[in-house]
Amino acid sequence: MRDVAAWLRGFVLLAASAIISVPALGQDHPVVAAAADLKFAMEEIVQAFAANTGKSVRLAFGSSGNFRRQIAEGAPFEMFMSADEGFVFALAKEGYTLDEGTLYAIGRLVIIVPHGSALKADSELKDLAAGIQDGRVKKFAIANPEHAPYGRAAQQALIKAGLWDKLQDKLVLGENVSQATQFATSGSAQGGIVALSLARSPTISKLGDYALLPAESHEPLRQRMVLLKKAGETAKDFYAFVQRPDARAVFRRYGFVLPTEQ
Amino acid sequence: MPKANDALHVELRQATPIALDVRFSCPAGQILALVGPSGSGKSTILRSIAGIYTPATGKISCAGEDWLDTARGVNVRARLRSVGFVFQSYALFPHLSALHNVMEALSHIPANERASRARAYLARTHLEGLEDRRPDELSGGQQQRVAVARAMARDPRVLLLDEPFSAVDQVTRERLYEELVAQRRELSVPVILVTHALDEAAMLADRMCVLYRGRTLQIGAPYDVMTKPAGVLVAGVLGLKNVFTADVLQHDAEKGLTRLKWGGAMLDARLNATCAIGSRVDWFVPPSHIVLHRPEQRQRGLESEVEGVIVRCVALRETTNIQLAVSTLPGAILSFSIPTRIAQSNGLETGLAITVSLLADGIHIMPPDAVGA
Amino acid sequence: MDWEAFQLSLKLAACTVAILLPIGIIIGRFLAWTPFRGRVFLEAVLALPLVLPPTVFGYYLLVSLGGNSRIGHWYESLSGHSLVFTFQGLLVASVLFNIPFAIQPIQRAFQAVPSDVRHAAACCGLSRWRTLWRIELPLAWTGLLSSLVMTFAHTLGEFGVVLMVGGSIPGETKTIAISIYDRVQGFDTASAGLMSAVLLALSLIAIGVTYLTAPRVDRRHA
Repeated sequence: MRDVAAWLRGFVLLAASAIISVPALGQDHPVVAAAADLKFAMEEIVQAFAANTGKSVRLAFGSSGNFRRQIAEGAPFEMFMSADEGFVFALAKEGYTLDEGTLYAIGRLVIIVPHGSALKADSELKDLAAGIQDGRVKKFAIANPEHAPYGRAAQQALIKAGLWDKLQDKLVLGENVSQATQFATSGSAQGGIVALSLARSPTISKLGDYALLPAESHEPLRQRMVLLKKAGETAKDFYAFVQRPDARAVFRRYGFVLPTEQ
Repeated sequence: MPKANDALHVELRQATPIALDVRFSCPAGQILALVGPSGSGKSTILRSIAGIYTPATGKISCAGEDWLDTARGVNVRARLRSVGFVFQSYALFPHLSALHNVMEALSHIPANERASRARAYLARTHLEGLEDRRPDELSGGQQQRVAVARAMARDPRVLLLDEPFSAVDQVTRERLYEELVAQRRELSVPVILVTHALDEAAMLADRMCVLYRGRTLQIGAPYDVMTKPAGVLVAGVLGLKNVFTADVLQHDAEKGLTRLKWGGAMLDARLNATCAIGSRVDWFVPPSHIVLHRPEQRQRGLESEVEGVIVRCVALRETTNIQLAVSTLPGAILSFSIPTRIAQSNGLETGLAITVSLLADGIHIMPPDAVGA
Repeated sequence: MDWEAFQLSLKLAACTVAILLPIGIIIGRFLAWTPFRGRVFLEAVLALPLVLPPTVFGYYLLVSLGGNSRIGHWYESLSGHSLVFTFQGLLVASVLFNIPFAIQPIQRAFQAVPSDVRHAAACCGLSRWRTLWRIELPLAWTGLLSSLVMTFAHTLGEFGVVLMVGGSIPGETKTIAISIYDRVQGFDTASAGLMSAVLLALSLIAIGVTYLTAPRVDRRHA
């Protein structure tokens, strides 16, 4: 310990070797920014892509609004799968994308309640209304309407059902619809309004019951994807892969409505 | 034979943060003691000489080299000044052995010779066998010797000692005194010793510089300073007793005496013609010049009699300290000491009325302090 | 266990320490022994990251380093990509945020070295460099170790600033702390639990090393 010189020297060498091996953001492993509702569906599709072509793609999940902002600030994503086409159009206008992108799915909302909740899931939100009235509902989770499309849609559905104002002080906002689902099923809230694609997954479906909200109760969740300026070959291949029938089948399985089937 | 050039010349002046107004020189081979109460700037002076403190104005030169000259902007760094400094706390490098401590001062020697030279210095300070011990494994006295060895290893042009004996016990201290005196014969550099212990200064130093609040009050051989203090202030700083006031009656230039009236007694003091007749003066008599009255040997003019009653009589080994309440001046106490066997053979004890003689050449008239308090 | 994120975190921590250790020594030593007016003010500024909310720090970093800033543009023209959302941006943020963790233990350790020991080194004729290497650093080594360990551990755990400045880009800016957050969101509690346990263990080791080595300084000078 007294020969400070020696171990300081050794440490600097170690750190130097660490710095040198910082990987460049490679074309080999492009990062795709994907809306949070795509979590389980995209994981399957990425696996299929790897099995099929041997190439790998990395996924980053989050709220579409957040990604839109990060991309505008220079985040090095190569492809963006938004849950709201408005964000894609905005980025295209600002020149961050290769083109205007493709509509790849239409999303649906559900109300989900964890096992043992005082609430029941029903498509018309009748029990929710009753639960607010008689005080069974203490906390209710949705994604943040400010930047998460599924949050905005949930807000619209609640306004239409006349429950938005009454729920104000009980709302728990998730940063994205995935976190909202986590809040809704954790037992700390009586339930929430989240994405069908998440509720359908094996992991979530065993945590509670859900009911599909009618498509008319909110503006359509038109989910659009686009290749960004920095997109390389692998990203472009992946973009094409996502539109193939086998990928579409995965979407369908998770409750998405495919554009052609509208 | 030390050359005149090897001397240290110091001149420092500043107002804050520590007031300084000193001027002294110390030739090679001499020990100059700086004495004074705490706060009198002794350590600051030492540090200025070493170069680890820079005063507002000053001039320091050693062995012909200018180390400091504020007027010309000269200020040589401490590491280039070649000083040997023994700190009060010794300031040994705690993580290095005694040997390595001394070796650090030997950067002016080729690397392969350093270890053996260091061993030689440690041997000279009687530390053989202890070279590999770290400071926390050494006693206070041993640490002091390492500090001295390290200072000497530097082959310094001046040796600075900052209260180097204050942290050790009496027995060790006396042994260290002897070692310093022995080493000093080999040294051909000026040595500045800071101490607040007067007997230490008297024992070790060739000259003594009395400081008070940063100012030099008096410089001289210890014996001279302690028997002929320059003023009441110096006497106070030195802790001298037997300081009194008296009136000047007359001067006798032929006999070299001045007659003083002290309370009810007449004293013959060493002539000091500068004091006006009838004026009030301060005077001092060192304990060594107070003797038991020997009427058969009395010669008028060389001794003055004083009567008094013993108020304190304490025998300390071979010396008995006596305090005498002067009968002719209530409140005045004369302090002196005599060999215990003489005290006993004269039957001295508290309460006894005796007469003592003050030797004329010991009574020192002090001019009023030119140096203010 | 997200190995990619763990490796990224280790790399970030190692690089941060490599940069901050020399800076810590220089500034810590300066603050310990050089009196100057406004020193307290400087010390307060350097200690800011200790109390500043990470999101505030992240916000100001985004504003000054992001794609729309002068520094961001300059960096992009040099390297071809943005400073934020990259490892390099994260490194800048991490270095700035860890300044007090790096400097303070070293400063305290230097302050504990008696000034007379340094003066003695000067009187021995040691050059400034040799005084630093042979005398000062060995006596302050517990502070160096503390600084290293605390900076390392703190970087491993940093979340708010990393999230704001780096996003959560796998392999580039997704550190282990963010990965834990992500896994919880993604209902992978087993993985989150394992990674949390690892970070907890590392934090305990860091604190243990710091506290165990601290008293030694006093013992040596007894």
